[in-house]
Amino acid sequence: MADGSLPDTVLLLEHPPTITLGRRTEQGEVHVPDGANVAVVEVDRGGKSTYHAPGQLVCYPILDLTRHGQDVKRYCRDLELAIIQTLSAFSLEGTAIERLTGVWLESPPRKIASIGIHLTKWVSTHGYALNVDLDPAPFTEWITACGLDGYAFTSMARELGRPLAVDEVRPAAAQAFADVFELAFEDAPALAASGATRAA
Amino acid sequence: MATGTAVDVVMPQMGVSVSEGTITRWNKQVGDTIEADETLLEISTDKVDTEVPSPASGVVSEILVQEGETVNVGTVLARIGGAGTAAAPAAEPTPVPEPATQAAADAAEAAASEVAAPLPQASQPAAPSENGKSFVSPVVARIASEHGIDPSQVPGTGAGGRVTKKDIRAFIEAGPPSAPPEVPAPQAPAPPAAAPQPVAAPAPPPASPPSPQPQAQTQAPGEQFEPMSAMRRGIADHMRKSLDTSAHVTSAIEVDMSRVVAIRAKLKKEYETAYGVNPTYLAFIARATVETLRDYPWVNGELRGDKIVTKSFVNLGFAVELADGKGLIVPVVKNAETLNLLGMAKGIADIAKRARDKQLTPDDVSGGSFTITNPGGYGTFHGTPVISQPQAGILGTYAIVKRPWVITDDNGADAIAIRSIMNLTLTYDHRLVDGALAGRFLRDLRGRLQTWGETDY
Repeated sequence: MADGSLPDTVLLLEHPPTITLGRRTEQGEVHVPDGANVAVVEVDRGGKSTYHAPGQLVCYPILDLTRHGQDVKRYCRDLELAIIQTLSAFSLEGTAIERLTGVWLESPPRKIASIGIHLTKWVSTHGYALNVDLDPAPFTEWITACGLDGYAFTSMARELGRPLAVDEVRPAAAQAFADVFELAFEDAPALAASGATRAA
Repeated sequence: MATGTAVDVVMPQMGVSVSEGTITRWNKQVGDTIEADETLLEISTDKVDTEVPSPASGVVSEILVQEGETVNVGTVLARIGGAGTAAAPAAEPTPVPEPATQAAADAAEAAASEVAAPLPQASQPAAPSENGKSFVSPVVARIASEHGIDPSQVPGTGAGGRVTKKDIRAFIEAGPPSAPPEVPAPQAPAPPAAAPQPVAAPAPPPASPPSPQPQAQTQAPGEQFEPMSAMRRGIADHMRKSLDTSAHVTSAIEVDMSRVVAIRAKLKKEYETAYGVNPTYLAFIARATVETLRDYPWVNGELRGDKIVTKSFVNLGFAVELADGKGLIVPVVKNAETLNLLGMAKGIADIAKRARDKQLTPDDVSGGSFTITNPGGYGTFHGTPVISQPQAGILGTYAIVKRPWVITDDNGADAIAIRSIMNLTLTYDHRLVDGALAGRFLRDLRGRLQTWGETDY
């Protein structure tokens, strides 16, 4: 990737119930009740703890950021914009809040998507997680997600008042991502089954 | 350090808008051997975690910034002692290779934008060497030090006989000193020698004035270090910026609170039984403040660029100390002009409770137009608070104390009476509010409190 031999690649997928602990996770953030069916994994992305489960669209862009502005903050803002545009395809109005990276609905503010990135030679891994249709309780009850004490988490389904499949959101997410990062996607044949998409 | 040819590892520039980074993890410790391009540490900016590769091979001789600390771009984080290098004279800081591509171009932009990102130190010229080739670029210096070459021994073909990257590469390929594998080439040509200097030279003072610069901090016997919390950093940053922004001036006035004390005593029971809320002195003062602000729109206003902004609402902030004594937050009662005494008491109780329970939303702590701070609970009688930007004023309320007070009776005779006296301070931004205006504001506020009627709410 770093030597330019691979194109930008974006994976859009779902995870089984998992709590991941980013590099800046602080003591006391994780308070999973006994018997909860969830894996806890330490990962090398930025940010604190978060929760993944089916019903959440996880977007892993593998981009060479030297081709996309070479600026970590700009990359975070671009990801937020891609999420906001994805939401607007479903008539939901997302906003970015300064110093609280991620995407929120207002008001009162409730977090609908989280961001966490790792860079190696300006090549990104990890990405964002958008709550499509899952119970957001674990974000607050099992962990203090993102270290945000006292903030609410929500999902697109909860906001729309109807069930919503991740497959329904995936095309909008790919389109928004392509628009923001000025990419044209083609399906990666070998990976198509797992939802991978690749920039041409 | 044995050889004196250490290579500095500096906080890399992670984008035009990025001026600092936090060390999240050291992958090597002092004394460990590292290869050039191997990950030495990880840093974090926003929600992005980034690996920082070592700019050179050798032994880690010094680690200068600890995990958890946040430092400006260009700060030296560690030194790689030039193990095995013979006589490389390059002692200049060598930037990590990552940002070479755009750093120069971006630096020019950065100087023009309001974000004054400190420049990487890459642009410092190297010390002159004996043969008059007075400059080697950082890239050349790094390649030279990695290969144990004195750049002055390399025939230069660049301007003024300067040694270019091409020259030193050719020298290495031709010459004997057996070299480690290919140098990790940044994807860009060597940064042009002069690149960032012309525009960027008069670097403005850093936009966010240094929270205490952690460079080369050493711990003396008897001292303990603890990292700053995000809240502490936020407070430090905001306070410093506010003092750098507003021309703070404080005026004080003494208020006879005897009427308010009497009326509150009457109302207290009724409010507590009927509404479950305590009519605090703060609620009375806030109510009177909102009334007074209506007549002084500039005190409730702000300076925005060259415009004076006045507001048809009062969003009243209250400084609340967090339970552990380690922080401060200023939740806002929105549209306080619509609230009577009972509504104000309830509004204050609500935000204070949610602040203690950490249930405040970002919306609760933004958009204030004026602030009240109440350090009087501890008996203090005066203070000079810091304005919550971008507001123009902050009211300080202090202890209510019984004092001997000269009063004039109906016949015009003076007498000494025992009265409940409170000091109020108004700290205001003298750029917008003059002393006379502040004085009149305090006089009117005092008047409202001293003449509070039984039927005033």
